[in-house]
Amino acid sequence: MQLRSNFMDGCSFPLNGFEVILNRIKKLAPELHRVHFLHYLTCLYHDDYFGALENLRRFFDYSVGIGGFDITPVPSRSKGFERYETGLLCLGMLQFHFGHPKQALEVLTEAVRVSQQQSNDSCLAYTLATICTLSSEMGSSSTSGMLGTSYSPTATIGTSLYFKQQLFVLLREALKRAESLKLKRLVASNRLAMAKFDLMNVQRPLLSFGPKASMKLRTCPVTVCKQELRSCLHLVSEYGSESPTMTIEGAFSTAWLNNLRRPMGASVLSLDNGVGESSNAFQFCAQPSSIPRSVLQLVGSSYLVRATAWEIYGSASLARVNSLVFATCYLDASSSSDAALVHAKLIQHLATFQGYKDAFSALKVAEQKFLSISRPVILLLKLQLLHERALHRGNLKLALQLCNELGVLASPFNGVDNQLKIEASMRHARTLLAAKQYRQASEVAQSLFCLCYQFNMQVENASVLLLLAEIHKKSGNAVLGLPYALASLSFCQSFNLDLLEASAKVTLAELWLSLGTNHAKRALTLLHGAFPMVLGHGGLELRARARLIEAQCYLCEPNYSVVEDSEIVLDALKQASDEFEVLEYHEMAAEAFYLMAMVYNKLGQLEEREEASDSFKKHILALENPQEEEEEDEDEPVSEMLVEKN
Amino acid sequence: METDASDSEHVVPFQLQFDKPIASQVKIAEWNPEKDLLAMVTEDSKIMLHRFNWQRLWTISPGKSITSLCWRPDGKAIAVGLEDGTISLHDVEASISFTSLPCINNASGKLLRSLKSHTAPVVCLNWEEESELNNTGNSLVFEDRTPRFFPPAPRVPRTPGVVTSDASFMDDNEDSYRQLSNSSYQRFNILCSGDKDGSICFSIFGIFPIGKVNVHKFSVPVSNSDKTQHLLNASIYKVALSKDLCQLIVLFSGDLIESTAAASEADKVAGCGMHGLVLDTSVFGKRKNELHQLAQQASNIEDLTEVIRASLSVMSKQWTDAVQSFSQKFVSLDTLITDHALDSSPQEEFLSLLGGARTSPAVHQFLVNTLGEAGVKRVSKLVCGAGKELQRVVHDHLQPAAEIIAFRMGELRGLSRWRSRFQVIGLDETLVAHATEKSGMMLVQVERFMRVLTSVEQQFSNFFNWLLKCIKLLMQEPSDQLLPYNSELVVIFLKFLYNQDPVRELLDPSEVDHPVQADLETMQRVCDLVQFGGFSDTEYLRRTLAKEFQQMESSFKEAFLMPFTTISRKIHVVDLLPLFPLPSLPLSRSNVIPMSISYYEDDSEANENNFNDYICFRVPAESLSDDGNYIGIVRGFMHDQRNLKRGYSTLEAVLLSMPAGYNCADLSLYKDTQVVLLLNGMTNAPETPGDACMMIIQANELPFAPVSRSIDLSLWKMHHLQDSSACLQTENEKIRSIPYSVVAPLAVSATRGVACVFAARRRALVYILEEDEDEVLETEA
Repeated sequence: MQLRSNFMDGCSFPLNGFEVILNRIKKLAPELHRVHFLHYLTCLYHDDYFGALENLRRFFDYSVGIGGFDITPVPSRSKGFERYETGLLCLGMLQFHFGHPKQALEVLTEAVRVSQQQSNDSCLAYTLATICTLSSEMGSSSTSGMLGTSYSPTATIGTSLYFKQQLFVLLREALKRAESLKLKRLVASNRLAMAKFDLMNVQRPLLSFGPKASMKLRTCPVTVCKQELRSCLHLVSEYGSESPTMTIEGAFSTAWLNNLRRPMGASVLSLDNGVGESSNAFQFCAQPSSIPRSVLQLVGSSYLVRATAWEIYGSASLARVNSLVFATCYLDASSSSDAALVHAKLIQHLATFQGYKDAFSALKVAEQKFLSISRPVILLLKLQLLHERALHRGNLKLALQLCNELGVLASPFNGVDNQLKIEASMRHARTLLAAKQYRQASEVAQSLFCLCYQFNMQVENASVLLLLAEIHKKSGNAVLGLPYALASLSFCQSFNLDLLEASAKVTLAELWLSLGTNHAKRALTLLHGAFPMVLGHGGLELRARARLIEAQCYLCEPNYSVVEDSEIVLDALKQASDEFEVLEYHEMAAEAFYLMAMVYNKLGQLEEREEASDSFKKHILALENPQEEEEEDEDEPVSEMLVEKN
Repeated sequence: METDASDSEHVVPFQLQFDKPIASQVKIAEWNPEKDLLAMVTEDSKIMLHRFNWQRLWTISPGKSITSLCWRPDGKAIAVGLEDGTISLHDVEASISFTSLPCINNASGKLLRSLKSHTAPVVCLNWEEESELNNTGNSLVFEDRTPRFFPPAPRVPRTPGVVTSDASFMDDNEDSYRQLSNSSYQRFNILCSGDKDGSICFSIFGIFPIGKVNVHKFSVPVSNSDKTQHLLNASIYKVALSKDLCQLIVLFSGDLIESTAAASEADKVAGCGMHGLVLDTSVFGKRKNELHQLAQQASNIEDLTEVIRASLSVMSKQWTDAVQSFSQKFVSLDTLITDHALDSSPQEEFLSLLGGARTSPAVHQFLVNTLGEAGVKRVSKLVCGAGKELQRVVHDHLQPAAEIIAFRMGELRGLSRWRSRFQVIGLDETLVAHATEKSGMMLVQVERFMRVLTSVEQQFSNFFNWLLKCIKLLMQEPSDQLLPYNSELVVIFLKFLYNQDPVRELLDPSEVDHPVQADLETMQRVCDLVQFGGFSDTEYLRRTLAKEFQQMESSFKEAFLMPFTTISRKIHVVDLLPLFPLPSLPLSRSNVIPMSISYYEDDSEANENNFNDYICFRVPAESLSDDGNYIGIVRGFMHDQRNLKRGYSTLEAVLLSMPAGYNCADLSLYKDTQVVLLLNGMTNAPETPGDACMMIIQANELPFAPVSRSIDLSLWKMHHLQDSSACLQTENEKIRSIPYSVVAPLAVSATRGVACVFAARRRALVYILEEDEDEVLETEA
């Protein structure tokens, strides 16, 4: 990892030109095996994984036992056989990239064995960290058997819970090892892995029996924030103590020469010394940073984890700000996949809070920015947005097509790309729900629940349960929906999923309301309890929905009179309809306008009533002819977008 | 102790707890509402806290003249009003925990917060908590999510190397932030304060100012005419919020001016004297949940901005000191260069040393003789140590504080979007959104600053490593043990850092208007980000950290000022009641008019949660025509909607004539509409210790007479009552004589049932009002 990042400290360069040089070297000095490793790194850098694998293998074939690395992560180098385990580590990571978790784990286990034999502590620490990443990203089923055999041979029951427990132990072990070896970077990346784990998993005491065993099964956001993410930032000030020569001589000169055309770069090489000009002091800030890129990358990714954490915990402003911190300060040092990810996050944020128009125009820019390499993230985002919009517009045929596309993106292997698979079938269920095929929708959701349960993905479980409640609500079976909503609520509470909890409360309020008007007060109380969350951090859709239900609650309540206090209902309806219109959510907008027209009718304000009913009509028409809208869509119809992608 | 023989055959009420001498005369005394603690202010403005057994817990002297004092309803803090208009909160809780060893904890009575909300002396304070009865109706309870997601908020960083006295002060402040900010467990309460200029301020939890009104601004319409009345020269005497926080009774002295709508007529002074005023503060009662939320978030945000401000100044100071010592060390190189008649700068000399072209004698002499290896090491330790310290401050204080601010602002933004509830209290959506943006920018700026700081620190240490190596080489010593250096970084250092200091410029508040040059790439990136939902104000890249902080702070101020003005506007006058005339001269403090306001649950009515107000005051002798010696009691001043609907005015009053030979030294309303009176004998010769007595009368049994609410001109309500005044009979009441001449204040605690009386000759006597003396006497016999 370190090697790779060292390598990336330099500027980017064309693949082909470099390859020519490498080939020439190979020809001239066949005994110089490092060239193969360099080639491997080049391929890796350009995401040519097959080429990378080939070169790595070649490097092994030539260099086992002879030596070839001399930049090893450990300062104290012992001559001899130590390269083998490093190579294994690299190979394991590659296998992992290809989505062969089994092979990767085998290789890594071998790497652990060899590095134990060679007492190469730092390589062991790196390997452990890699195994952690591997096992946390792959589901349990594919790896638990392997882990069981390699770490505690007695444990053969591969339940997912047990697997999580093991992963936790492993993470802690890796962290401790890295800390004792003072590998600051590894410590930071281990902390990040730990944060990711803690984000999604309830903290269970490893030994939980006896009267004093804590029974509080909740995630612990404070530790995520304090111990993992904040301490990760200390890396910036501590990396110096790890190894003093992290910068490569010459890198700066290259940067200066590259920047010669720009005034900033030229200022270094210019002859006059600019003594005493205070305005020059800030040219320093403009210099290429002397902090190693790998450090910046790690610190930057801690901001990405933060952004994700706040998306989960529900703080829209912090999620956005953390993404922006990353995009402003760390984009230059980050890997392109991270950069694509942060753009995807920002676009997602735009879509939920400002509607599709802004999001799609931003998406277009992003697509130009990230051409080949990180297409998956952006592509995924595009499909998500398109699907969402199709659902809102009521273009179900397109929606179905899109969520099938989404499903294709996931790897066919079981246990790999779980997130993507879950997302795809979730969207499938929602599409079916929108098409009023309740039975099919609930079938999909049920099987989805089973999948999440199998892989112990509790956070996803909460949203699946909420979806089930939604399905029951729409199918007119509110009583059946209630337990699902409540279950989802309790999941949310123990995982601190505040935003999801708020939306569960909104659904719950809807369910109560649909049980009868005598529950309106209860629904309203529930709704108002969730309002600070919904309004502060919920997207347009959730906000509009909550307001619409609020209005409905008021209208249903027996001792509320429209004539006396119409403002409160009209205000809610106005805001709801505005937000639905931004989202082009025709069905709900129509409902809001319908209610508005009714209220105006009762108040005797005929002009406003006509206006509202016109809007109602407009949305109903749009809902009935979804195709028309797609066609008049700016310059890039969806069908074309799909073709282009394929 | 008991000298009066005539009393011994009766039951002597009020068990005397003790009679102790005191060091100096007390001017204010208040009992803790929850515990048996007495807070006193002496004539020389010291605050003393005593236990019930007169054990002293602590004494502090704020250094300014204290004009008022009151307890927080939970009894864990006191608010002190000062002559300069400041209200400061002092903690008492910390010292209480040291039960056995008082005075051992120096932190007792520490200052939690001070708020300068007045411009004139704060003469009265009243801290009222929402009553529990009202709690049932509104079930909306909001959660403060911050403690769930964040570790405890960062505190103000310590200034290193500061002597202990100051450091302990910082230490004290640390806990206070946490204690005060953590108001989620508290019941909603409001501190209300009045000053000599007629201003009344309100603050939630005593820390978040939420409103300010001035009685001069009010005008009261005169019934049956187009005239209105307003006030001049008003000075507040007493404020008291009702238990449901919906109404405020104000007693003040001032001139009542009558003015007509027609401008031609001159204003006419209708009367100067003591008036009562009822203000409608129902916004506090009705919007308490919203206000609680707002105050909680906003006061926390204000605390954290203080943390940031302190962090910035600590960092600025430390860095400046370190860099100064660096440049002091290196300044001799300049002189050496001129001494050697070289026409170059130190940077050039160093550069040529780096390039290996030549080593000029000046540099040689400087490095080997002037600075030396030890010198380099010392400077390196100093500068790099400061750099590390700065990084620590950013990590532990600045960054977390900025992050929590951003989080809390996000929460507030959610509230501000709930227009139907929060617009009423003035939480403005656009202002809060703007503040949220600013707090986000602050986070980005902190990150940028951190990067600059880190690389500066790294460059310094790289430069020093190089210098060490050079020295070794020049002295022809082996140098392979030294840390390696990067020569390119040395070039950058000499070019940009040797005699410039970007870190200081980013931190220094005096250079905030200095635009920072951002590199084009970042600029471009930030501009690109705008369409991805980034900050639309891309100019922030050109601001220094200090400037960004200033802007953030001002945006917060703007956002929080809105609720303040909105609430202030919602407080309006309901009724005005002229009580009695006063001689036009302002009263000196020596003859302060004793007065007391209290609210009692009205059990005569069937409905619960109905409070009746009692105002009790001594009428100055010169105010009435017959120079009599009276106290007045007014009840039902507060408007009760229910009573008004039932169509009867509740305003009633009675004038009570004091027994002959006594005048009222002080009075206080006690529980169940009882009044505790402290009477002084008038016939005392100056040599004798004097005689006085304390008595309790049941006010609701007095012959109250209805008083009309309408303001008829220049008629003092008390004059009407003079004919029907009741005479106080000493025989029938609970009375106890005190063998001293007594002075105000009389401190009575309704919740604890105790009273403290101060004698003119520096004695304090504490009585238990609920117990009679004879039991003790019997046991003694």
